[in-house]
Amino acid sequence: MATTTLERTNTDSLIGRRIPKLDAPDKASGRTRYLHDINIPGQLHAKILRSSQVHARIVSIDVEAARRVPGVHAVITAADVPWQRPIGVTKDHLPLKSDIVRSRRDEIAAVAADTVEAADEALRLIRVTYEPLPVVATSAEALAPGAPLLHGEDLRAPGRGGALEVVHPASKDNVAMVHEYRQGDVAQGERDSAVVVEDVFWLHYVTHCCMGVSGVIAEFDPSGNLLLYSNTQVPFLHKREFAELLGIDPGRIRIIQPPIGGGFGSKLDIYPFEPIAIFLAKLTRRPVKLVFSREEEFIASPTRQPVLLKLRSGCDSAGRLTFRSVETLHDNGAYTSWGATTPFVMMQTISSLYRVPHCHYRTRAVYTNNPYAGSFRGYGNLQATFAVEAHMDKLADALGMDPLEFRLQNAQDPGETTPQGMHFRSCGFKDCLRTAAERSDYRAKRRANLAHWNDGNPIKRGIGIASMLHVGGGAKMYPSDGCGTIIKLDDFAKVTLITGASEIGQGSETVLAQLTCEELGLPIDAVTVVNNDTAITPWDVGVHASRTTFIGGNSAIGAARKAKRKILEAAAPTAGLAADELDLHGGSIVVKATGERVQDLGKFLRSLHFAEKADLVMTTYYYEPPSVHLDRQYRGDVSAAYSWATQVAEVEVDTETGVVRLLKITAAHDVGRVLNRLGIEGQIEGGIVMGQGYALTEDLLVEGGVIKNPNFRDYKLITAPEVPDVDVSFIETFDGEGPQGAKGVGEAPAICIAAAVANAIYNATGTRIYALPFTPEKVYRALRGKSTAPTWPESAA
Amino acid sequence: MSAMLEIEFRLNGVVQRTAVAADMSALEMLRDVLGLTGTKYGCGEGECGACTITVDGRTVNSCLMFAVDCNGREVQTIEGLSATPLGERLNHSLVAHGAVQCGFCTPGFMMQAQQVLAEHPHASREEIQRGLEGNLCRCTGYRKIIDAVEAVAHPTASAE
Amino acid sequence: MTEIRDYVAPRSLADALRVLASGPATVLAGGTDLMPQSRAGRVRFAPTLLNVQGIDELRGVARDPGGVQIGALTTITSLLEDPLIRDRAPVLRTACDHFASSQIRNAATLGGNICNASPAGDTLVPLLVLGASVVLASAGPEGIVKRRLPLAEFLVGPGRTARRTDELLVAVQAPLPPAGWVDRYLKFGARPALDISAIALAVGGTLREGRLEDARIAFGAVAPTAIRASEAERVLSEGPLDRARIDRAVEAADATIRPISDVRASDWYRRELVHNLLRRVLNDVCDA
Repeated sequence: MATTTLERTNTDSLIGRRIPKLDAPDKASGRTRYLHDINIPGQLHAKILRSSQVHARIVSIDVEAARRVPGVHAVITAADVPWQRPIGVTKDHLPLKSDIVRSRRDEIAAVAADTVEAADEALRLIRVTYEPLPVVATSAEALAPGAPLLHGEDLRAPGRGGALEVVHPASKDNVAMVHEYRQGDVAQGERDSAVVVEDVFWLHYVTHCCMGVSGVIAEFDPSGNLLLYSNTQVPFLHKREFAELLGIDPGRIRIIQPPIGGGFGSKLDIYPFEPIAIFLAKLTRRPVKLVFSREEEFIASPTRQPVLLKLRSGCDSAGRLTFRSVETLHDNGAYTSWGATTPFVMMQTISSLYRVPHCHYRTRAVYTNNPYAGSFRGYGNLQATFAVEAHMDKLADALGMDPLEFRLQNAQDPGETTPQGMHFRSCGFKDCLRTAAERSDYRAKRRANLAHWNDGNPIKRGIGIASMLHVGGGAKMYPSDGCGTIIKLDDFAKVTLITGASEIGQGSETVLAQLTCEELGLPIDAVTVVNNDTAITPWDVGVHASRTTFIGGNSAIGAARKAKRKILEAAAPTAGLAADELDLHGGSIVVKATGERVQDLGKFLRSLHFAEKADLVMTTYYYEPPSVHLDRQYRGDVSAAYSWATQVAEVEVDTETGVVRLLKITAAHDVGRVLNRLGIEGQIEGGIVMGQGYALTEDLLVEGGVIKNPNFRDYKLITAPEVPDVDVSFIETFDGEGPQGAKGVGEAPAICIAAAVANAIYNATGTRIYALPFTPEKVYRALRGKSTAPTWPESAA
Repeated sequence: MSAMLEIEFRLNGVVQRTAVAADMSALEMLRDVLGLTGTKYGCGEGECGACTITVDGRTVNSCLMFAVDCNGREVQTIEGLSATPLGERLNHSLVAHGAVQCGFCTPGFMMQAQQVLAEHPHASREEIQRGLEGNLCRCTGYRKIIDAVEAVAHPTASAE
Repeated sequence: MTEIRDYVAPRSLADALRVLASGPATVLAGGTDLMPQSRAGRVRFAPTLLNVQGIDELRGVARDPGGVQIGALTTITSLLEDPLIRDRAPVLRTACDHFASSQIRNAATLGGNICNASPAGDTLVPLLVLGASVVLASAGPEGIVKRRLPLAEFLVGPGRTARRTDELLVAVQAPLPPAGWVDRYLKFGARPALDISAIALAVGGTLREGRLEDARIAFGAVAPTAIRASEAERVLSEGPLDRARIDRAVEAADATIRPISDVRASDWYRRELVHNLLRRVLNDVCDA
């Protein structure tokens, strides 16, 4: 039987081992208390009334009958919180809507009651009358002349002094945000090209589907200090935002993060349910718990950014890329969240995955009455990579070149600095390409499949390749991209690692413990990690941008090295050696050169503590990566390291039904260095299957602003029988800045699956499909010539 | 409000007597009335398996079961399974194989793994995959969960 | 959701039928559909919730003079594990194997699946091919009254059946197929199970000297109820099973179905699937 405890011998290191997650035994036995499992004595249960209309003016709201329901403590509408301030990336979104509803998720009223049943009963008794407004269902409609304006008026809210101020200026063209980047001269690139291709791609709606639904518990103490139990991925940023929202000092807000039932980027923004729970807690002076139903999770959670993307690419006759020109329409939905900022990541792929001398990239995020888009693992990169990798195949085909050769010829090398300013200190891209191609036998299978296009067999095989570039050393989007650590050792050589880095299931707790133990020469079970309470943990910018192992890891190592230095310096006189001649190993202070044991570490720490000049070993460290902000032209080395991957997909296409089965993924990932093999395999395999869902099965159907399938019956996550064979190779490039050489990998595995599957379907059938997902009917229509490729709308010309 | 009924059943080997509303689900009874929170709400529609429990030796979605229907039955939850030798073996195997990430779905997988092994003590990989098809996981991509159950089904083959 | 005033869980059929005769009651069997449907407000509870799970006489698979009798409370799992069904009615077993998930198969009952009368109900298509009937019971002045109804007549529309409110579906009866019988079941979907089919189809008949005699074809999810394609069956029964006849049968099937467009598939695509998959299944029978 496999064993979960690891004893460290004198010769081995914890790095690269298969170390089980520290929190796994409790989770598997049902002992872990998620937010849903926490009940505060005296708590009330909150429920939200959402709009029944997609776009309408609210004529009246009658809550009188609801207020009379036994057990109901409060029923609130916007009128009850005239001091509410907007949330969101551009502050265009009031938690409770008073005049206009702009989507079916819009919050109109909320109830706090003794029981969920009483809250539900009260919701049913609230009467809202609406005056319908015309629905803007697509970004093309939003840009059409005379389109209804969704945020056509200035949004005003009370400022610090209480007077109304403009918090979000009117948008007179429904454009919420514009990003534009240029390098070189695209016209020159066109002139240098032997082949030019142009296509329009549609990247669809998907949503996170965290297994634990969203929720929050809010509680004020008598002095007005707020305690939030929250699933946020960015506790310290949200502390500040909630304070702004409430007009109080951020120091009066404490956020506790109970274990979270999945994140994947969904908890990077504040959503209306959180301020609403806070309003109710403030008004009732009781703890208020608000937990979504699954249907609500589908309707009122953010989506991945849906994108209409026009890509024009060229190469010369020798197969060198000449230019890329991209225009996108991001369907922003009714309000602006992080989805509108995905161009920051998308343009990196456009400009720098392969070497391209001339680039132009432009995005308009456009208001519609649809669900609004947040951040989601990969952050725009799945969309950009899908288009770029389709064109890599098409250009190679047009030249008659092998697609792998074509990619190798244009791939980045270590040491390069791209025109956008990204500096690739470590880069295993070409190794990824070669490894994935060789291990999957890509060249031979690709040629063999082509021979079966017209053989009469309705079942076709295909193989496709795609690669990705993503930040792997944080991303400097805020004034700081750092993370703090506090380490204390007790009298028995047990370590408490207090880190700002949150655990959201990805295994950061374990990898940080591992890095700490590696420095201190202790077994993994010597560590307790504290990572979930802003009153205790030092600042961190949050879990996003695949940054936690890199940034949190370097921070933990920094604190551990300070502790080690302190111990060795204190031990040196008794040992009769210099501090740098000593080391920590196997729970002891040892002679570095020989490994000879000098003293048991616990015993030494006790002697330090109970000596005449008593002292404890406690250290702090703040790590700030050597990255820079993008300048106004979107240039700059925004991450301390970059991760690379190539994935080869093998599919079987049933041309009589359109069913595409993913048979195998052969992946090669430049991860810098493998720290915890078990953990990194889990991240990669999970990301691959998430990418599989994005490519093949997941499709949030939004028609006229209404979600048609807000349930797991018709929003199809991949299930256990559908998972492909997976072959993962780790390319270890030992990044100089990374913790023990590692780079971030959290988002990478999900990014290029859909692109590889698209190329595999083409290899199987000769049909290229420009719109995701590849659900059976879509594929069948495309194979029968019954589908129309996405087109660029006239209104966006 | 719907009628309240007194019911009696065995829960994890212990006789329980409790009052439930006629329209209450077994999931709500377990979590909100009896305080056993290891069984999770994931969808309320029998699509995700996070609420899987065993009734008279067979797994069911507790969100689809009427609490009153527990009357006279033998119910086991993750809290009960975890205290059995098989539960411990499954727990160790899931942990050792890296089959737990956010962990929210894991109790449901534990319960259903027990069912798979009851039906197929030496389950093949495909039998395990089919057996777990009613349990959704968003983090792991399933492979490590399948590996973990396979290791319990074939203890010697997979000893590490 | 409406409130439940009374909850009754009788141990005998007679007691249950008396409850049904005395006023409106919602029948609870496995609950796998009733619970989510009532939560979503698509089903409203009658004042009485009648739990029939305790009526052991409604459980189990047994041979009877007409073939096989399956108690309405038999779970999908029990059907899947039953040796008689496995050996003599594999089409039903295959359908049960593709039914929802293990947890739902353990709770859901055959009677419940039939009474839901979903156009996509997984057991309906194989039962139609087997020529099954349902047995309905009610309380009469001199004891229990039973009537038998062919399944095709029992299914009236989406979610609608010929069951009177005082009746309980107690069993399904089906003749056991004769020697030489072949059958096929196909549920279309990317997943093996845990899916509501975009279409399902079953084919059965007796292969004799190159002919598919007594041919039966049934479809799910392409009409308001699961249906038999009698015109296509006639085409098949008229002569040797060859490619040309299969093509004609497929055309005839096309005239029978009335698919709709919903979130799972368009009507056009459902027709295409019926064409391609019926042809595939019949070719497979032909080649066997």
